[in-house]
Amino acid sequence: MNASGGPPLGLDPVIHAQARLRVTVALAALATGDRITFPRLQELLDMTAGNLSTHLRKLEDAGYVEITKAHQRRTPVTYVALTSSGRRALADYTTALRALLAPTDQPGG
Amino acid sequence: MSSDDAEAGPDADRPLSVGESMALIEHEQREVRRRLRVNVALFYAPWGAAYLLGFGAVYLTYPSDGPARLPGAVGAAVTGVLFAVATVASAVNGARGGRGLRGPSRVVGAMYGWAWPLGFGALTLVNSRVIALGGLSADAASLLWSGSALLLVGVLYLAGGALWQSLPMYALGVWMLVTGALSVLVGVPGNFLVLALGGGGGMLLTAAYFTVRPPRSPSRA
Repeated sequence: MNASGGPPLGLDPVIHAQARLRVTVALAALATGDRITFPRLQELLDMTAGNLSTHLRKLEDAGYVEITKAHQRRTPVTYVALTSSGRRALADYTTALRALLAPTDQPGG
Repeated sequence: MSSDDAEAGPDADRPLSVGESMALIEHEQREVRRRLRVNVALFYAPWGAAYLLGFGAVYLTYPSDGPARLPGAVGAAVTGVLFAVATVASAVNGARGGRGLRGPSRVVGAMYGWAWPLGFGALTLVNSRVIALGGLSADAASLLWSGSALLLVGVLYLAGGALWQSLPMYALGVWMLVTGALSVLVGVPGNFLVLALGGGGGMLLTAAYFTVRPPRSPSRA
């Protein structure tokens, strides 16, 4: 495998990291337009709150994730959703992976 | 991938090889879908059991050729308790599945879920009034209930099947319509046997089907 650990050519560096890839894939598994609370996402991914926040911020900065805050019975609740550009980024990333894995499409990178 | 991988701090930020990435996407997709999935079979199994045992008990309260095999109060009590349990089970299952989620799929699920108590509330009012004003005999009232209740159940399953593009759910709807019509044609007390075996059996089979083949959609409620 890629022992050097450097990001292969053409792969989105925002998604191409284990934790953020997991977050993106999990959010993409929701039905379109659905949002998930921060604690439920944390539970699904088995990540610490601090770790998840850090990665969500990076995904939010890239415009891939939308974070909204609502109030339920006076308690603030944080909802997370993949944006349409986040969904597209994951699709493009998966396509790029497939191209790198397929010997015929190998661009030589 | 174990959960430790995600907890590994800086290592979790480590870029992945192409093969690792692909494997992670596939694993994570499967895992998240599995954990978000509502246990659809749990919407059918308690109702199937309630129909089979409840209406089965009511059927046995009618004498076949001799004294009744069960006292009338037992049939009513068994049916009442089992229906209450099934109602609570459905409500809890629906609420649990949507835990921490919000959005169009939850709205659809909640609207559909409420269609059941709304429909049966209205049906109870209509039937009670018709039975009282029309001076219906006990047998005619019994047939009115089995026919109209199964009609409503069937139509709600048809709607659910259309909503979630689920052929098995739609098929159960058709089956419940047939069962309801048949129960009216058979008359009392055969109608209770038809409800128990046809209605209960149909729902238990649907529960078995969804246990073996859970629906793909993660947000099905």
